[in-house]
Amino acid sequence: MKISQVVERLGLEVCCGNCEQEILYGCSGDLLSEVMSHAKPSSIWVTVQSHVNIVAVAAISGIKAIVLCNDHKYPQETIVKAEHEGICLLKTSKSPFEVAGLLYSIGIKS
Amino acid sequence: MEKILDRVQSFFLDMSITEIMNHSVISVRPDRTLRQVKEILRIKRISGLPVVDNNRKLIGIVSIEDIIKALEGGYIDDTVENRMTKNVVSIDSTATLKEVIEFFEKWPYGRFPVIDNERRLVGIVTKNDVMMALLAKLGLVYLHDERRREVLDSPEYFARSLLTGERLDKSGADFYFAIDYFDINLAGVGASKLRQFLLSKGVDEKTARRVSIATYEAETNVVIHSGSTGAIYCFIKPESIFVRVEDTGKGIEDVELAMREGYSTAPDYVRELGFGAGMGLANMKRCSDNMIVMSKVGAGVVVEMEFLRGREAKQ
Repeated sequence: MKISQVVERLGLEVCCGNCEQEILYGCSGDLLSEVMSHAKPSSIWVTVQSHVNIVAVAAISGIKAIVLCNDHKYPQETIVKAEHEGICLLKTSKSPFEVAGLLYSIGIKS
Repeated sequence: MEKILDRVQSFFLDMSITEIMNHSVISVRPDRTLRQVKEILRIKRISGLPVVDNNRKLIGIVSIEDIIKALEGGYIDDTVENRMTKNVVSIDSTATLKEVIEFFEKWPYGRFPVIDNERRLVGIVTKNDVMMALLAKLGLVYLHDERRREVLDSPEYFARSLLTGERLDKSGADFYFAIDYFDINLAGVGASKLRQFLLSKGVDEKTARRVSIATYEAETNVVIHSGSTGAIYCFIKPESIFVRVEDTGKGIEDVELAMREGYSTAPDYVRELGFGAGMGLANMKRCSDNMIVMSKVGAGVVVEMEFLRGREAKQ
């Protein structure tokens, strides 16, 4: 599924990145090691972490898009780095639980 | 592999035999027949049996050779007592790996029963047990103070590979990155660069991913825990990728403890950023095919990892 389709169906806000990329899987979590050890390549990652290291974790794990929940904001340096790495940053006021449930219901599995 | 074992062996010479031996030793009573022994050897796939009396005291040993002789000589239904080797070469349970190795060099036997101070049988040790114990330790080099100092204080410490023993020509590394910052927000720069570098050199995606995850964890550890700067070196080999991450900082108090999942000494502000889950070393071990961690308090940490190319991470 394309990131743009996910954005549309979940009503997410796009902060940066190319939404035409395909994603195959989803993962959620706020512990970086945990995410790195479980995330599959081409995943969308649901989290409440917004600091710049999430971009490194995404780039290394092959995560294509990050959904920041609970209305948290991305710091400017996170956005700059994500643009550089080609990672799509999304945000929402919904909770991680809700976002994960919605992703699952539209067919994105772990 | 043999080279690694030879080299590592010397680190562990004072390891206790109780860490090496097989505790669940199968033994036999003297009133049994050799035919019964033959069946036990066959079913348990072992090559010898210590003989013990009613108080578990060691009184002899029978091996597969004795069984072959019994079959040839036609006395397979004779009792163990009549045919066993009575002068058993056994090892005390207070022995160290050094003594075990000396025993194997001195005697032509494949196994030695291990006895306590009352001659009671407490285990058995074979060359295979020695090898397995060393292999288990391989991912985890933790030397006792005196021996550690010897290794760490020598200029060789930063110049030789722990995994292979080869002199590392770091100037000839395919990739070098200096971890010269203390800002946690910069952690991961080196690992990301390494990943891009590996891909540009035609290393497959899966391998590049494993290498960069493990390197990210190591890099983060340097930034969070060492209180010092460090370096990442990577050597690309035809069959594998070799990574060494070193720092000259605080060091790890107890490597075995640090290897445990969930153990972390990270400060709270770092945990809030999603680090400090205590999975770093465990994650590195999972992603790499061989790993050695060497550390001493106050003398820094060296992590060496080898990644065989074209493989998935262990689950």
